[in-house]
Amino acid sequence: MWKTILRRILIMIPEIILLSILVFLLAKMMPGDPFTGSINPRSSPSQIHHLMKLNGLYDPWYQQYWNWIVHLFHGNLGESYQYHEPVANLIGQRAENTLWLSLFTMIMTYLIALPMGMYAGRHEGQLSDTLIRVYTYVTYCIPFFVILIIGLWIFGYVLNWFPTTGSVSATANSGWQILLSRIYHMILPGLLGALFSTVNIVQYLRSEVIDAKHSDYVKTARAKGVPEKQIYRHHIFRNSLLPIAAFGGYSITGLLNGSIFTESIFSYPGMGLLFINSISYRDYTVITALVLLFGILNLVGTLLSDIILSLVDPRIRIK
Amino acid sequence: MKDSKLRKVAVAVTTLLVAGTLGACSAGKSSSSSSSNTQVNLKTAYNNTGKVDQSANKNSTLKVAEPNDSPFEGISDPTLSSNQEDFDVFSPSGADSLFNVDKNYKIINGGLANLKLDRKAKTATITIRKNAKWSNGMPVTAKDVEYAYEVIANPKTTSQQYSSDFNAIKGMAAYHAGKAKTISGFSYPDGQSGRVAVIHFSRMSPSMQYSGNTFIWGTVEPYEYIKNVPIAKLASSSQVRKNPIFTGPYKLDKVVEGESTSWSPNKYYYGKKPQIQHIVISVVSSSNIDKAIQSKKYDFVIPGGVLHGTDYKTLKKTKGYQIVGQPALSYDYFGFNLGYYDTKTQKNVMDKNSKMANPKLRQAMMYALNLDQLNKKFGNGIVWRANTLIPPIFSKYYDKSAKGFPLNIKKANKLLDEAGYKKKGKWRVQPNGKKLTIYFGVMQGTSTQEAEYQDYLQQWHKIGLHVVFTNGKPMEMNSFYDTLEKPKQNKIDVFAAAWGLSSEPTPTGIYGEDATFNMGHFVSKKNTKLMNEMNSSKAWNTAYRVKVFKEWQEYMNKEAAYAPGSFSYDWEPVNKRVKGFDVSPANNNFWSNLAFTSSDMK
Repeated sequence: MWKTILRRILIMIPEIILLSILVFLLAKMMPGDPFTGSINPRSSPSQIHHLMKLNGLYDPWYQQYWNWIVHLFHGNLGESYQYHEPVANLIGQRAENTLWLSLFTMIMTYLIALPMGMYAGRHEGQLSDTLIRVYTYVTYCIPFFVILIIGLWIFGYVLNWFPTTGSVSATANSGWQILLSRIYHMILPGLLGALFSTVNIVQYLRSEVIDAKHSDYVKTARAKGVPEKQIYRHHIFRNSLLPIAAFGGYSITGLLNGSIFTESIFSYPGMGLLFINSISYRDYTVITALVLLFGILNLVGTLLSDIILSLVDPRIRIK
Repeated sequence: MKDSKLRKVAVAVTTLLVAGTLGACSAGKSSSSSSSNTQVNLKTAYNNTGKVDQSANKNSTLKVAEPNDSPFEGISDPTLSSNQEDFDVFSPSGADSLFNVDKNYKIINGGLANLKLDRKAKTATITIRKNAKWSNGMPVTAKDVEYAYEVIANPKTTSQQYSSDFNAIKGMAAYHAGKAKTISGFSYPDGQSGRVAVIHFSRMSPSMQYSGNTFIWGTVEPYEYIKNVPIAKLASSSQVRKNPIFTGPYKLDKVVEGESTSWSPNKYYYGKKPQIQHIVISVVSSSNIDKAIQSKKYDFVIPGGVLHGTDYKTLKKTKGYQIVGQPALSYDYFGFNLGYYDTKTQKNVMDKNSKMANPKLRQAMMYALNLDQLNKKFGNGIVWRANTLIPPIFSKYYDKSAKGFPLNIKKANKLLDEAGYKKKGKWRVQPNGKKLTIYFGVMQGTSTQEAEYQDYLQQWHKIGLHVVFTNGKPMEMNSFYDTLEKPKQNKIDVFAAAWGLSSEPTPTGIYGEDATFNMGHFVSKKNTKLMNEMNSSKAWNTAYRVKVFKEWQEYMNKEAAYAPGSFSYDWEPVNKRVKGFDVSPANNNFWSNLAFTSSDMK
């Protein structure tokens, strides 16, 4: 297996190089540049030209690409044109926020969806199963931003239970206060995210449980007189987790993607907004760094999924 | 605060970003214009007669909302930042403004420094007040005044604030080009650490009397505090982002990157002692700013923050809040493509044969628009049809009596007939008989804005002009400006856009012969002459200057190369527990004048 993993990692290198060239070219092909539209009656256009020149934006693309790669190997992702901050710092701050929120949402999602999926599968065809299925479909159908706005309105503004903006209170000062404030700020967006994204897990788990229920090894266990509770807990649950585990690898890569809706509605500075803004601002350094990061994460995620699968299911072996 | 500088102008039509000015006529006086009857009458101050509650001042937090859909960038230094949001969230610092201004943005004595202009010697003498200190206790020095120019003009700077008029400062061009280590046009009669800085100019301009002019920069830099940071790295340094120091009424306690800033009084402040002890300014998504105000989460929306006509409709009757506002330092306009920019001579050139060259065609297009009705429907009294290219906030220069282009289909048709654009089938053709298709370029916007664009097209179709969107639909902002900023383009014949202005109204930078931002390339002898007159030696006489400005406005309406679109209010809701809220430019102590009349929101 280690050999395979190593081989997969080696294959990633040309993939990443190709990706970086594509990303770089596509970013440069968009109309405009970081200074387009930053025009005002008082500043001089020659200053804009000066800044373009200073940043090497008039150079041919291959030269710009080469400079970028050289810097990249020195661990320098450049400076954001919009924020005037090293890109690594900028992404670091936003990634931290996003990671917190995504982890929280993911944990909540599993905590809600796993018992629901198990329960629905076990009580297939009964009223409770129907209710759970209806719940997952309904939540799946409603556009997420609508949920966020309604949730924010009810729990943030009308009931006043949760903070309505930001990732942490401006007045929290000590370490503990900051931690608690962060968690407090995550509860509403995280919980809304979790409650309304259960459909995949519930449906997969439910159908796996139903499949497993009728499989031979369960019948055997039942014939041997193993208590029903134990059958579900030890025999069915573990086997039914396979597809969910395969998801797991991808979910981990998704942790850093961020959600544009959540971030803009809750004014929560994260990766999703950073990415969108960097595109509309033509903040090349940030765009390329982010796409490269997402690309690498995806490649790693696929590998992780495979590894997790082989760990959970001894029948699957990476060759 | 009072030096209202423009930060970012690439604004979608009617998404008006207004420079961060906090201030206006005396309390109770309303600002209005006669151009149209659709606008509401807003006052520039909330005249709260309640008694100040000292314990509320001490214990309660002033909560201020900054409506924005993305995190702010976090550059506290006005020389380096080029966006409105940063200016807003750091505004309790006083923005390191040098000068106080009156209601016309004219520089007056009494601020951090006084300004004395000597026309004969061609100098500007800036004298810092005696007790001026930074919020860490350091004195403000003459070098601090000069260092702002170094930061802006340094060859490696990230600042976008360098104006071509800075070249009038002696030695500035050489420093900017990296040929000199210092700016020779600065002298210090009592030394760099003294209180007097003298700037030597090669020419003087009447505009220098106003804040926001393009010759004299209006803020200071803490030289001693930042001198060890290379200017290229200043914007990312902790001295600018995490622990900046200021000269104004409040000092920064904490900044949460992209989200909020919190403030407490600066004990070294020279001016009126701030009354409220805690301020927090937070970014609030524009999708829920109305709800946030209605549920009393904030005392007020930051003056200069972006609020729309639709927000006004929702918020105007909110219990416990008063709406305050003044005409914005911005306007929407229509431009016509009339030529090209000659990169060799660096001048705009009008092409007599261009599609839109006939002024009658342009006037007809403007008379065909039903801007009054549109603004009545969507502007809710906050946006109204503009009648000229100088907004009413410049009350002295603004030409109240200008008619602009009210709807007049009959006149539009007549103008086109006269000019020889005859109807052939459904559409009019060019005087030479060739087909006429006019391309309208505009930026993507809100659904309201896009409905307005559709209405423009409809109105133009009514007078038989075949006008279509460039590329078939509104354009993405970058594509729009990328197209317009090209020296020569033929994709856009008529466009709608907006300008945010500095607090000095000279329009040479956008409509001048050598201005690259003159994107319609309108040039005429008369235009150049009038613009030169605005800042000629005769124009030191304000009455004469006003006369020239009015003449220019009349001329521009006649030519219709650029035509006025709409004006709007810069307005904000303020909770009735707040006392002393006054957005007039003349209120130079905006933040220290604020007080609470109760510890809970009303």
